[in-house]
Amino acid sequence: MKAQFIRGVSLKELLDPEAMVWRGVKPEPLLLSGTPSALQPTLAVRAAFPEGTIGAVKNVVVAAAHNGSEIAFRLEWQDHSADTGADGQDDVGFPDGAAILFPTRKGAPLMTMGAPGLPVNAWYWRADENGRGRHVTAQGLGTSDTLDRELVKANGIYQSGVWRVVIARSLQTRNGGSAAQLSAGGKTGISVAIWEGSHKERAGIKSFALGQQEGWHELILDRQA
Amino acid sequence: MTASKRQLAMVMDLNKCLGCHTCSIACKTLWSKDDGMEYMQFNTVNTIPGQGTPKDWETMGGGFDAQGNARPARLPSRKEYGDAWQFSHDELYYGGRGNSRHLEIKGDTPEWGPNWDEDQGGGVFPNAYYFYLPRICNHCTHAACKEACPRGAIEKREEDGIVTVNEDRCRGYRFCQAACPYKKIYFNHQKHVAQKCIFCFPRIDEGVAPACARQCPGRIRFVGYRDDQEAPIWKLVDKWKVALPLHPEYGTDPNVFYVPPIGPAMFDGSGDIDESRPRIPDEYLVGLFGPKVLDALATIKAEREKKRITGKSELMDLLIAYEWKNMFGGFDKDPSKVQVATIQWTRKR
Repeated sequence: MKAQFIRGVSLKELLDPEAMVWRGVKPEPLLLSGTPSALQPTLAVRAAFPEGTIGAVKNVVVAAAHNGSEIAFRLEWQDHSADTGADGQDDVGFPDGAAILFPTRKGAPLMTMGAPGLPVNAWYWRADENGRGRHVTAQGLGTSDTLDRELVKANGIYQSGVWRVVIARSLQTRNGGSAAQLSAGGKTGISVAIWEGSHKERAGIKSFALGQQEGWHELILDRQA
Repeated sequence: MTASKRQLAMVMDLNKCLGCHTCSIACKTLWSKDDGMEYMQFNTVNTIPGQGTPKDWETMGGGFDAQGNARPARLPSRKEYGDAWQFSHDELYYGGRGNSRHLEIKGDTPEWGPNWDEDQGGGVFPNAYYFYLPRICNHCTHAACKEACPRGAIEKREEDGIVTVNEDRCRGYRFCQAACPYKKIYFNHQKHVAQKCIFCFPRIDEGVAPACARQCPGRIRFVGYRDDQEAPIWKLVDKWKVALPLHPEYGTDPNVFYVPPIGPAMFDGSGDIDESRPRIPDEYLVGLFGPKVLDALATIKAEREKKRITGKSELMDLLIAYEWKNMFGGFDKDPSKVQVATIQWTRKR
């Protein structure tokens, strides 16, 4: 996957999933698969979601662009309902969600959401928190922690059975250790996850993009031309 | 799973519960007044037979089967717990309608509440029967909520086995809520975290019994360490074996125990009292407390008789609770004389 360099484009423009700028960025379709039931951390979760029942969303189309200091990912997938969580759904509902995942160190495993000393970094959007994203780190299953709720910007629009969501962040951050540091001309592993709220997907119950490089897809950031 | 060093427990004597809800109010006043907690009652009292709180909770699953597998379960809805009704106080008290309108519920007419089927009970006249079943979190030894959480956000205190939610870890996934077979975990839909009875641990830490027990006018609640042989819990549960967990078949090893209700005698066809048959059917009590309930009932009846004849019975004296301080296993300090910590429920994140 490529992140296209667009000189001078503002973050504000990138954060609009329907902005003209996205028409010039080549999207890439990714196949998604459900996370394995056997990898879920507890008996109750495995019982609630047996093998073959996880991963309601099967496809996502991803476009990526950067302006030299910020990078944005535009995700588009089909969903028959916009689920915005518990409130208004009598406390039994769950929100749709999406995230981009990066390794922050070489060898950080995708399937287990990182490992002790090998953190992964998620940029997370949720339909009930639309407008702001979460900057999340994890070092193994069940360990995800919100680093901050400022650095990641995220904005979703639901229309006619399709979610269009942009998730963005600066290429570099100050909290080096647990956050991915990206640079123009560089490359990194990447994955994408989608949670389908109407299927009660939350936590490790989600569909994700499995790539060729120890599970990761590759993201190449264009040089600043 | 690391076991707690000691376990706090509670015994509730159902023969003495008068259904006054003082326990629920004591709890509500102390712990569940924050935003998103309006509908929560960590302590409930229901008339049974009945559908309970949340409505039909016994059919929702959770806990473990005999092999230790997690039983299938579903989430209770806020309506099934009974949402907090909004009343027209503003209109009446401050809007000048106090002399022209009655107090009314605002919005949709409620279809269920936490005490909706109060005093309906079961049986047929003249042999109708009911009793009250107060419930809190059972602070289980084999806590299904704790074992269900994929984030390890539920903790069981090492020093006393009190089960608490670490709200900084909780993400509101609600696997715990489904897994708890007693449906004693609530979801805060504003803060997106699970919340539950904390056995008043800030009071416990200062030597004060939980508010539901301390405030109970009927003196039905005993509190203390499970293994304290000088205190009532051990005597009622292990020595006299008259206090039993609710639905032991759920497999979570609860630490709240109930002294089963004896109930009144039957009326026979001619309206005379028939002492040979219990008004509350044995099979109903077996369904709630397991087959050991029959022995417990027999013991209580025998000791009642002994007390009646001789004036002496250790068990009856315990259950009568002449001196309230003796009910709390040493947790008998005056709450007004100690500094009880308040709780900052959730870190803002």
